[in-house]
Amino acid sequence: MKLLSVDDSRTIRRVISGIGSTLGYEVLEAENGHQGLEVLEESSHEIGLILLDWNMPGMDGYEFLTTIKKHPTFKTIPVMMVTTEGEKSYIIKAVQAGAAHYLTKPFSQEDMVARILETMGMGGQGKGA
Amino acid sequence: MTGIRDKSLRSALITGLDASVQDILATMAWTSVSFEGREVVPDLLLSDGVAGLVRMQGDHEGMVAISTDKPVGMELVSRIIGLPADDLNTEDLLDGVGELANMICGGMKAKAGIGGVQLSSPVAIVGREYSALWKTHLKTEILSYALDKRLFRVHACF
Repeated sequence: MKLLSVDDSRTIRRVISGIGSTLGYEVLEAENGHQGLEVLEESSHEIGLILLDWNMPGMDGYEFLTTIKKHPTFKTIPVMMVTTEGEKSYIIKAVQAGAAHYLTKPFSQEDMVARILETMGMGGQGKGA
Repeated sequence: MTGIRDKSLRSALITGLDASVQDILATMAWTSVSFEGREVVPDLLLSDGVAGLVRMQGDHEGMVAISTDKPVGMELVSRIIGLPADDLNTEDLLDGVGELANMICGGMKAKAGIGGVQLSSPVAIVGREYSALWKTHLKTEILSYALDKRLFRVHACF
């Protein structure tokens, strides 16, 4: 299984890649929703979790989320929002649209690891552990 | 454009900004800074080696910026990414400083508990010699922090 990080900041994509690789997951990257959809078209069968930013130029995280949740194949892939937007209204909107988890930046590595493992159903152990 | 005149809201935002800086540098860059002081200046004028700016729009308007010298900027971004500073290029630094400004401003909003404010995508500047001025009638409050005897500044203009 792979992870997909959709974030316009390559700094954050690298951080997520680093955390993913320590858990034994390859992390695919996209810098906005449009690129994220392209990656899903090619590799959705391999992706076990999408880590999604909210504010991005082009297609933002919310539009991407609502788009994939209407898609017959992509809708089953769990989505974790990873964003600086911490307002309750944003969290409710994301959860109502189908986000499985909501993590606000800044996040500790431990928090990110715990959320990834929980979502991937590993119960405290990474793929490579 | 009107700034934030409500004293308690301004105070909550400045307190939130300070907490956000300490939190983000500790959580994402694994480093601690010491607070060196605050001052109020007439303009938002940036001239350090690197800077990141985020515009606030909506119910409350303004700008939040960070600035520091290039070695500190490189060090912080290198700590966030987990790569040696020598391996970073200008694009890495621009993206990292922009994201740092974005997280600090987002953290300020969350810690101050204000809604109805949208944040722009960050603007990042890296240069040997520049001066950047935001023309506004609003005064700027600068919070200064020391990081290995070098300064990291946060500029709050709202």
